[in-house]
Amino acid sequence: MLISCNKLKSHIKNGEDIDWLNIWDTFTIRTAEVEGVKKVGDQIDNIVIAKIVECIKHPDSDHMHVLKVDCGEEEPIQVVCGAPNVRVGLKTAYIKVGGHIDGIEIKSRPLRGILSNGMCCSGRELGISDNHDGILEFPSDAPVGTDVKDYLPIDDIIVEIDNKSLTNRPDLWGHYGIAREIAAITDHELLPLDLAEIKNDKQDLDITIKDPNLCYRYTGLKVDNLKNNKTPLDMQIFLYYVGMRSISLFVDLTNYLMLELGQPMHAFDSRVVKKIEVGLASDGDTYTTLDGIERKLTKDNLMIKNGDKYFGIAGVMGGLDSEILSDTDSIFLESANFNAGSIRKTAVALGLRTEASARYEKSLDPNMTDVAIKRLVYLLEKENPDLVIASNLTDVYPTKLEEGDITLHKKLLNIYMGRTLSDEVITNMLEKLGFKVTVNADSYEVTVPTFRATKDVKIEQDLIEEIARMYGLENFEAKPLKLDLTITEHETIYNQEYEVKHLLATKYDMHEVNSYIWYDTETLKKLGVEKTGVKLLGKSENNILRDDLSFSLMNIVDTNFKNYHKFNIFEIGTIIENNENKRILSIVLADDEKNIETIYMQAKSIVKYLFKMLKNKEVTFTNNVNEKSYYDASLGKVINVDNTKLGEINVLNKGTTNKLAKKKAIVCIDIDFDKYVTITPTTKLATEVSKYPTVELDYTIIMPEGTKYDTLKQVLSEFKSNLIKCYSLVGTYENKYTIRYILGSNTKTLEQKDLTNFKDRFIEHIKNNTLSIIE
Amino acid sequence: MEKELESLITSLKSELKKCTKEADILNVKSKYVGKKSRIAEIMSSLKEMSVEDKRKYGSLINNTKKEMENIVIDSLESLESKTNIVFDDTIDYDVENGSLHPVTIVAKEVTDCLKKMGFTVVNGPEMESEYYNFEALNVPKDHPARDMQDTYYLDNGMLLRTQTSGNQIHAMEKYGAPLKVCSPGRVFRNEDLDANHENTFFQVEGMVIDKEISIENLLYVMQQILSEVMQCPITLRLRPGFFPFTEPSYEIDMECTICKGKGCATCKNSGWIEIVPGGMVHPNVLRAGGVDPEKYTGFAFGIGLTRLAMMKYKISDIRVLNSGDIRYLKNFDIK
Repeated sequence: MLISCNKLKSHIKNGEDIDWLNIWDTFTIRTAEVEGVKKVGDQIDNIVIAKIVECIKHPDSDHMHVLKVDCGEEEPIQVVCGAPNVRVGLKTAYIKVGGHIDGIEIKSRPLRGILSNGMCCSGRELGISDNHDGILEFPSDAPVGTDVKDYLPIDDIIVEIDNKSLTNRPDLWGHYGIAREIAAITDHELLPLDLAEIKNDKQDLDITIKDPNLCYRYTGLKVDNLKNNKTPLDMQIFLYYVGMRSISLFVDLTNYLMLELGQPMHAFDSRVVKKIEVGLASDGDTYTTLDGIERKLTKDNLMIKNGDKYFGIAGVMGGLDSEILSDTDSIFLESANFNAGSIRKTAVALGLRTEASARYEKSLDPNMTDVAIKRLVYLLEKENPDLVIASNLTDVYPTKLEEGDITLHKKLLNIYMGRTLSDEVITNMLEKLGFKVTVNADSYEVTVPTFRATKDVKIEQDLIEEIARMYGLENFEAKPLKLDLTITEHETIYNQEYEVKHLLATKYDMHEVNSYIWYDTETLKKLGVEKTGVKLLGKSENNILRDDLSFSLMNIVDTNFKNYHKFNIFEIGTIIENNENKRILSIVLADDEKNIETIYMQAKSIVKYLFKMLKNKEVTFTNNVNEKSYYDASLGKVINVDNTKLGEINVLNKGTTNKLAKKKAIVCIDIDFDKYVTITPTTKLATEVSKYPTVELDYTIIMPEGTKYDTLKQVLSEFKSNLIKCYSLVGTYENKYTIRYILGSNTKTLEQKDLTNFKDRFIEHIKNNTLSIIE
Repeated sequence: MEKELESLITSLKSELKKCTKEADILNVKSKYVGKKSRIAEIMSSLKEMSVEDKRKYGSLINNTKKEMENIVIDSLESLESKTNIVFDDTIDYDVENGSLHPVTIVAKEVTDCLKKMGFTVVNGPEMESEYYNFEALNVPKDHPARDMQDTYYLDNGMLLRTQTSGNQIHAMEKYGAPLKVCSPGRVFRNEDLDANHENTFFQVEGMVIDKEISIENLLYVMQQILSEVMQCPITLRLRPGFFPFTEPSYEIDMECTICKGKGCATCKNSGWIEIVPGGMVHPNVLRAGGVDPEKYTGFAFGIGLTRLAMMKYKISDIRVLNSGDIRYLKNFDIK
């Protein structure tokens, strides 16, 4: 929002004493963020009001004239001018030789052979309007020879305030509210607004509110005998500086009031207004707004109706037929207040956010509708001294918003502030902002003005905010908290997640990825997999929440196959299973198809290592009965720890893998991280080791075709000897499995006969189980 | 005699120089200092010498023998210091490295720092109820944040959390007051993707509740955390802000570390960078968490981890973070 400092100055007593260029840094930390401060008018000088005293056609041009202008000097000056509106008697802006426009010096120079000394200027040339149709036209009473900067408010400072930081301050959506803040910040006095007095001795207008929950107040007034619809130049300049186009006095005044008070208004041509009714639209109706666009309405859109026809979308935009016609001398003024949420929803639904809707959706003070009309009439009367008030100030206001009180406890205030301020200081701060304060021993009784009560000041903390910012947030010192040595380690999941991630990235050189909580629709289509699950509302793509973390990473696998023939990735993320959040660790190993055995075995090792290192737990694998169609039906393991299922290892089946990438293998590990977190690591106690050396013995066993290691494992587990310290599988080749035994005794060094004895027994045991052994 | 002894040492040295194997050295050793060596002969002839000669040559001969023995030992040791296995020791393989996601690294830095200050890390669900995401946080029913345009609502009546702030309520319900918690996590906003906007990103929530917590305590904690994370002393300022779950609410700005507050392109010439929103916990939020606002006050803040990671690593396009593209992610390694 753009703010004119000239305008602010006019609302503050001794406002010229304020440093208008530098006050805005303070405003930023007291009130709202300022995005820019810019001087305007400082690029022009030496421009005076001049009267055209002679006007002759340029002999060598079809549109230029040779003028003599009186600018208060002894002799009239000769100027060549191309504007169409030149005429004798016109008072216009004349820039003297040596003056500047846009910082460029104006010199005497011939135009088509005739010397021009200086020039006459349009509004655009002076930077005070967009108008370049002709030179400026001053009223006939404008004093010749006066510097235009003394006559018009051309020198100004324009400030841009971030709209977002005003979201919570409906009172700051007009200059008057900003002026109140500046007055409070600089300890100045805010001047009251001049208002017209309106006697209610005529007829009421026919106004009805159908939905008092959506339209809180509607104030209307009819004004007749309006002869002058021309906006004074100073108001035009103000409107232009703050980003609005001047149209006509009646329209400009409604905009001016919106910019001054924050109250959106509308002026209708009285001749078309019959009977005003505020109510909801019907579904499916259409309505053409002022911008000529036909809008589809729903039963949620609040409308202004005239007779039985729509007349405007309440709080958003008027319609084509509600536009003021230039030949009218009678207007109907509307100043209303609506429910903020309803206006916002309508504006969003129609994709039509206007200056009015932006203000209404902030929850404007309903108590300013009548003030705005009185103010507008006051300004209108200046340009139309003979205007006639043609109706009562008709005010439909079903439930008046009254001022409320808040008790602010001094103790609470002091806790928040970390310091104590005097009653006098607090009272002064709050009263400058429009609050009324009664001081009690332990508290303040604060009356909240309605312009602050609609949104942001409701509880005592809101008052603390006011006091803290007015006291100056820069005056707060960073103070440490009181020492508290209580151990408060509540949850370990975050630490455990990091521990696992770190291990996978360092020990196995894996890459952590972050993905989305929903399945990628394109990848599902590509793989021919249908997923049902919790869905996002209002979305047709990427709208199914994942119930299988590894599978949801397949689009990432797809991406990386374009650059790598093998890679390992992992993520700890959330899946939604049976309508519940579930934390999962997923690891995906991807490689060429020929390496499937390697990565499958690696997956098992990773799982074993993870649990061994971080939980000191042994993992057992059991065969997985897989219900998911895209995983291999024969491969796959259930991961068990302490006889509880902790997760699965799966292999993406060949058909699905081929749709992703040809001749590839993808192995997925999914570990239930919620369960993982609850496992307490086993503390293994120290064991005595023998002081006698151990001996390693390797045996290679040949397994019959079609049997698996599981069989051998069973056989080995049945072989007992008190010499066995431990044994493990150390290698395989085709159907040959090499087992390493570590033998030893706690009482002596083993002798050859002990070993021979062991060997004989072992071979016999193997043979008894119909397996053969390489001796 | 002196000359002979000298020449023995010289020829021992020159013969040892030619040796490349241990056995060669041992051969030389027996030849020069063995039982049948010349020096042994001289030694044994010592007892037949006159008293005068004994006095004259005794210590010289002995010292020479010791020196020769030491030379042999040195030679053996110097041979052992080299391996005899021959290979190309200039070969230089690239090392493979794994990587943690940049957001994980930044989250670790921030939470580590909070942990040092006594914060505990808590967790919360990504699929959340409207109650925890909005109502309990004092977000009114018609607040724009609750629109479908901003929030992902689900067909089971839940939603995807739009902020980690809901964990304030979970933590208060579980652990009561006093409390010092932080909660990093993934959040979701219904946004169209571009270089600066993601629908899935990370925040860390922080909250302190205790007796007599003040605005100044908030300022202190933010100063501590941010200077630790930025690894340099920083200046902060509070600016009025508005969030439903805090009152008063503040935008916490950091003085631009690049221009030191003078104004530059990074801070859009303002000298300040908006970095963390925070404020004093709204009494309605305390009540929703079962904490009595008459007894306790507190503050809360939310740090954008994704944004912090982008600042730290100068990432210009936010979309790469969720792309899973290893070419990009592998650069971040572990820390």
